[in-house]
Amino acid sequence: MKTRTWIIIFSLACVLCVCVWLYFSAFFSPSETVGIYQDGVLVRQIDLSSVTQPEEITLSGEYGDNVILVSHGHIKMKSADCPDKLCVKHGELKSSASPIVCLPNKIVIKFEDDAPSADAVTGR
Amino acid sequence: MKTKKIIFTSVLTALALVSFVIEASIPPLTPIYGVKLGIANIFTLFTLYSIGAPYAFALLILRITIGSIFTGQLVSFLYSLAGGLLSFLLMILLKRFFPLKQLWVLSVLCAVTHNLGQLLTAILITQTPQLMYYLPVLAASGIIAGAFTGLCAQLVLKRLQKQISKQLNT
Repeated sequence: MKTRTWIIIFSLACVLCVCVWLYFSAFFSPSETVGIYQDGVLVRQIDLSSVTQPEEITLSGEYGDNVILVSHGHIKMKSADCPDKLCVKHGELKSSASPIVCLPNKIVIKFEDDAPSADAVTGR
Repeated sequence: MKTKKIIFTSVLTALALVSFVIEASIPPLTPIYGVKLGIANIFTLFTLYSIGAPYAFALLILRITIGSIFTGQLVSFLYSLAGGLLSFLLMILLKRFFPLKQLWVLSVLCAVTHNLGQLLTAILITQTPQLMYYLPVLAASGIIAGAFTGLCAQLVLKRLQKQISKQLNT
């Protein structure tokens, strides 16, 4: 076969792969289950895809209250009483690599993995 | 001349190892394991086309074994080996259909097979078929990386093949 034919075949395959990947990531997010931990203890587990009505969860710790806002597919820290408010500035929870953490009140919000991810196995 | 071939292969193995270690120390571009250029593969292809299949096989196995020791990741040894063996098998099976001018096509096919082998190994090791989710990304990255490494090997071979075959036959 001619070189040009191969180039066309491979470019098409590339585009197809990217399309399939976009389709996958739009419709099957790997994990939508979020865990809220305080002091290392699981306080609540929420499946973000099944949330219909926005809901506010208030957790209180030594340094005051944290208000977590849950809506369909989204979770974020709405307000906090701690001085630096890093958890509020973090915004919405997007990836399992960067959980929302409030150090003063020892609150962690992160995605719960159903399956071990590639990171856990390869150590990367 | 067998001795010359062995020496050539060992020099190429050393080069492959250096490029492998350098590439391993570059932080990964994406969190997906397996998306990388695979510069060391240039040397496997180069050896296959200039010296011969048995020598290329020796280079591949040595590079994977010593490279895993250097980078210190035992798990990645299994992935590399599975991917490497699968793609090498395809390489020697299909080599006759691809002259030097189309070396890069063979390289693309091998790179995709390599990623597929790695993915299947990962699925076997972790027992999570959901990893198939990464197949499109790995296939696309295989096509791009394979075209790059294949072209590198092809362009170098175009300039060096005459000298090398002259050296090996004297």
